[in-house]
Formats: sequence, structure tokens, C-alpha cells
Amino acid sequence: MLPVSLALTLLLAGSVRYAPDPPPPTAPAPTPADAAAVKAEIAKPGASAVLVNVWATWCMPCQEEFPDLLHVAREFKDKGLRTLLVSADFPGMEIEARQFLSRQKVDFATFIKAGKDEEFVNGIHDAWSGALPATFVYDGQGRLVRFWEGKASYPFLKQRVEEALARKETP
Amino acid sequence: MIRKLPFVLPLVLAVAPLAHAGALAIGSAIPSADVKMKNVDGKEMSIADVKGTAGTLVVFTCNHCPFAKMWESRIVELGNAYQSKGIGVVAVNANDPTVAAEDGYDQMVSRAKEKGFSFPYVVDSTSAVAKAFGAARTPEAFLFDKDGKLVYHGAVDDNGQEPEKVENAYLKNALEAVAGGKAVPVAETKSIGCGIKFRS
Repeated sequence: MLPVSLALTLLLAGSVRYAPDPPPPTAPAPTPADAAAVKAEIAKPGASAVLVNVWATWCMPCQEEFPDLLHVAREFKDKGLRTLLVSADFPGMEIEARQFLSRQKVDFATFIKAGKDEEFVNGIHDAWSGALPATFVYDGQGRLVRFWEGKASYPFLKQRVEEALARKETP
Repeated sequence: MIRKLPFVLPLVLAVAPLAHAGALAIGSAIPSADVKMKNVDGKEMSIADVKGTAGTLVVFTCNHCPFAKMWESRIVELGNAYQSKGIGVVAVNANDPTVAAEDGYDQMVSRAKEKGFSFPYVVDSTSAVAKAFGAARTPEAFLFDKDGKLVYHGAVDDNGQEPEKVENAYLKNALEAVAGGKAVPVAETKSIGCGIKFRS
């Protein structure tokens, strides 16, 4: 019979060996951005429309709509859609945010809120109450076409993005 | 309503992107004041039933939201303290518990007991009261003066995560002003919060 200490050692070693390692993140680490930085990204030339989604890992509806958001982001990328995903996670939750983005197979640059919440909400748009998720659709000239709070479906997102893309020639 | 919002708000907000369009305007009367809601003590009560002589505080909150949890102790502390200064206080949970089970009635009863709510914590069972207020997130405070006019709407303070680093205690300052019959220093503020899980 094994001594108790040896048995415990083997048991613990076994536990360690079988503990699952978190998969390495594949998504780029989100870049800290305050409201001014997000607005600068929206205004960058070259896009025919910009889709901005503010989400958080603790927000259930945000997680639920993410696949549809990414579906639209990928579908319309070649038509000039720029997608800006902005995590509103708490300071210190950058790793969780990146892990979530990795599980969603996000392979493009994203952002994470920097600075105080109130300044961020006020700085992004007057119409936003601060509720998550929040989604903004801009045309190619940086004009807000649509804004809403709450979870959206793929058909709804697609329609709003198409609407913004159709405005690209409008003065 | 959250599920319906995408179909309603964009039409409004894209045309008139005003400060949180849909929210109750400063100076408005208490909406749905006579709607009866089930309190954690099992009794039905309305906002009118809790109306204070100096003012009335209505806070939309819930059990599950991380932001509601972060501010919960401060809400309880303020609610308990200002009740004795003539402010009627009620916390309202408008969330659909089928979306977030932690927001169920039994869990509300436990939370109110655990946190020491000395004011009602009621169920907005159709989310109609929250919709009438134009409430969008949790937590979200609406403070009315002695005449029942909205004088403050918004956040508890400017730092949910770090109470020790609060620079502007918006709700406390507004409560103090209303309790003293004075004008509130800041009438509207915002914060990040969980969208209300409106019942469909």
C-alpha cells in the first residue's frame, strides 16, 4: 500500500496534469479607447459605413447578438463596412474580453473603454442612455444613420447596414 | 421591450438624436403612480403609496446586473437614510426573470432581506411602469420633488466600480437638496448599465 503522502502527491499531480489550459487568445488584444478615440475611428476615411457596437462580457444580450454582428461585419466588409467593437468591461477584465473575442473568432482590431463611464457615454452620443448593448450605424461621411439599445437580430442588423451603405453617395 | 427597441428607437433617434430620447423629461409628473406592484413583503403597492412629504425616489434596479450590484449598497444606504427625511423610496425590478433567473420574486425577497432594504422592492410585472418612465437600464434613478415633479434622473454617482473614488455623488446631492426644499445641483446624468430585460 502507498503511503498516504505519496498517494496524495500522485493524486494532486494527476489533478494538475488534467486541469484544462485556457486556449491561447487568437483575437488581437483590445486597444484602450476613450470616447474621442472611438469617434476618431468612426471618422477615419475609407469606409462606406461604420458599425459600432458597445458590449461587455457580463452582458447576456451582448453575447447573444455577437454571432449576428460578426456575420454582418464579415458579409459587408468587402462592401466598405468598418466594424468597431468596443468592450465596456471593467478595468482588469481585458483578458476575459479578449478570451470572449477569441471564442467568437474575431481576427480584427477591437477596442476597450478607457476613462470614466459617464464621460464615455456622454462622449459617444447624446442619445445613448448607457444601457448595453448599444449599436450605432454611421454612413461613410460619419453621419449617424441608426442607433439602438438592446439586442438585434441578423436581419435587422443587415437592413440597417445596407441602409447606411446606400447613403454613401448622398451629399 | 429591449427586444422591441431595435424596431422602435432607431426611427425616433435617427430623426431626433436627443439626450436619451424616450426618458422622462425633467419637470414631468410621476407616471404610472397608481399602478399596483407586488412588494417583497407580499403586499401590492403603488408609487403613490410611498410618496413622501419632501419627495419621492424611484430606482429601477434588479438582482443580476453587475452594475446594480455595484451600486446596491449605496442605493440601500441612501434609500434608508432619506426615508427618515421625508423622501418616499421604492426600488422597482422590471426585468423578465425568464431572461435572468436571478431577478425572480423569491430572489428579490432574499436580496432585500440580505441587504437590509427598509423601503419597498417591487415587481413591475409587465415592465409597463419602466416603459412609462422611459427607463432603459439598471440601476437608473428618478427623483421627484414634493410636488411630484421630476428633478433628477440618472446615475447614483460617477463611479460604480470604486466607491472610494466617487467625485460626484449625484443622487445623494439631489436627495439632500430635495429633502431641504432646494434646487438639485445636477439634474441629469448617465452611466453604463445593463439594459432592462423588458417583459414581452
